[in-house]
Amino acid sequence: MNTLEIKNLTKRYGDTVAVDDLSLSVKKGEFFGFLGKNGAGKSTTIHAITGIARFSEGTITVSGVDVVKDYRLARTKVGLSPQEFNVDMFKTPREILYFMGGYYGMSRAERLVRVDELLEQFGLTEYAEKEFRTLSGGYKRRVMLARALVHDPDLLILDEPTAGVDVELRHELWKYLEDLNKKGKTIVLTSHYLEEVELLCSRIAIINKGKLVALGDKSEFTSGGRKLEHTYLELTKEPKAV
Amino acid sequence: MKKSIGINWIGLGTLVYQEIQRFVRVSVQTLVTPWISALLYVAVFGAIVGQGIADVKGVRYIDFVLPGILTMSVIGAAFAHSSSSLYIQRFIRHIEELLVAPLSHTEMILGYVIGAVARGVVVGLGVLGIAVFFGAAHLSDLFIFLLYMIAISAVFGLVGVLVGLWANSFEQLSALNTFVIMPLSFLGGVFNSVDMLPESFQTIAQWNPFFYFVDGVRYSMIGISEGSMMLGGIMTAALIAVLWVGTFVLFERGWHLRA
Repeated sequence: MNTLEIKNLTKRYGDTVAVDDLSLSVKKGEFFGFLGKNGAGKSTTIHAITGIARFSEGTITVSGVDVVKDYRLARTKVGLSPQEFNVDMFKTPREILYFMGGYYGMSRAERLVRVDELLEQFGLTEYAEKEFRTLSGGYKRRVMLARALVHDPDLLILDEPTAGVDVELRHELWKYLEDLNKKGKTIVLTSHYLEEVELLCSRIAIINKGKLVALGDKSEFTSGGRKLEHTYLELTKEPKAV
Repeated sequence: MKKSIGINWIGLGTLVYQEIQRFVRVSVQTLVTPWISALLYVAVFGAIVGQGIADVKGVRYIDFVLPGILTMSVIGAAFAHSSSSLYIQRFIRHIEELLVAPLSHTEMILGYVIGAVARGVVVGLGVLGIAVFFGAAHLSDLFIFLLYMIAISAVFGLVGVLVGLWANSFEQLSALNTFVIMPLSFLGGVFNSVDMLPESFQTIAQWNPFFYFVDGVRYSMIGISEGSMMLGGIMTAALIAVLWVGTFVLFERGWHLRA
């Protein structure tokens, strides 16, 4: 069974079509790259999967559960690390994780164990009681990742997870994500750092103006020694004005 | 095998806890400020100005005015709580934590409203505590007193949720309070008996739900009612029902909530 199945997804904002008849699937255990320019429809698609946005047409299932018909169960199967720091800045990392676990229906005892585990895994123990707003960009990013994993979802969606992160931490996060994927976690990654996608992902989709323009194994995008970046630029380039 | 999820009690409890933590964390702003305002109102209008006013409806002016001040404090606290909470969460997109979680819209609305009720009741009890120092803390019917505090907080908790959803600026957030809540509170018999109003205002007062809120609390505290308690109860229950349905419909549509 595919962990993520999107069929004929369309999202309109008035007359504007943000996502146009998008279909794709992500297999269990896959590390999947989802690329596109700003405004191409990546975030809208992610929002449709996670419930932040409604969609106009199509179906989305996560681990076989329809995200609209059985939205509550579906949401327990997805974890999202968004591009923006959408947290209560005055909460501590421990509180952020503890509260998020609560929203997912985890008991107090479960949360206490899980929160300590994640703080440890992400090197946040030392910063556990500091307010989020006082943390550096890199540590904030770690908190976002840990929050997405608090309920141990089947599908982890990472929207620009290394934006604003220094090189050392970026490599650390890559290592962590690789390990997580090796342990069987299905991951969808969007990033403007194409070397990151090339390094981590086994399959890639490219979206442009709301339409899927390419989908395949990484090797198809990098055949003949080409860099992913070149293929990406070719597939998403605008026709020159006459 | 798929497993359906029933009511997310832990999720709801967490949201309620978060809402309570939110106002406790800034208690000087959320609790102490309305208590000081109430203290000043009671001291100036009740104790100082009230000395020069003859009994109203057979009771000291301070005893008559205190339930109105308490009601006004409860209304302000409940409305401020849910409106600012939802608005700020939308503004910084912190609301997405709830949108991606397995919480139903009923649970989300309940979470905000219970938070508003908690803040309203705590503020109300604090004002009652202040009244003790002025010898004006009467409780003729504790059950009705608590019922009215909870019901009034629920009404304005729901109004606050609607305004928190609608507002796109801090100015809009305060508009309803300035143009609707404050004027209707003052015209609802907070500081005066309805009999003291000009005839045209007396007619308006009969249609002003704030009059019934103040009247209900006043009855529960000093046993005096100027309107129909039955009508007040029905109006309050009807308001809660209508506001609940309206809020639920907007949440279901994702208005200003889900793109």
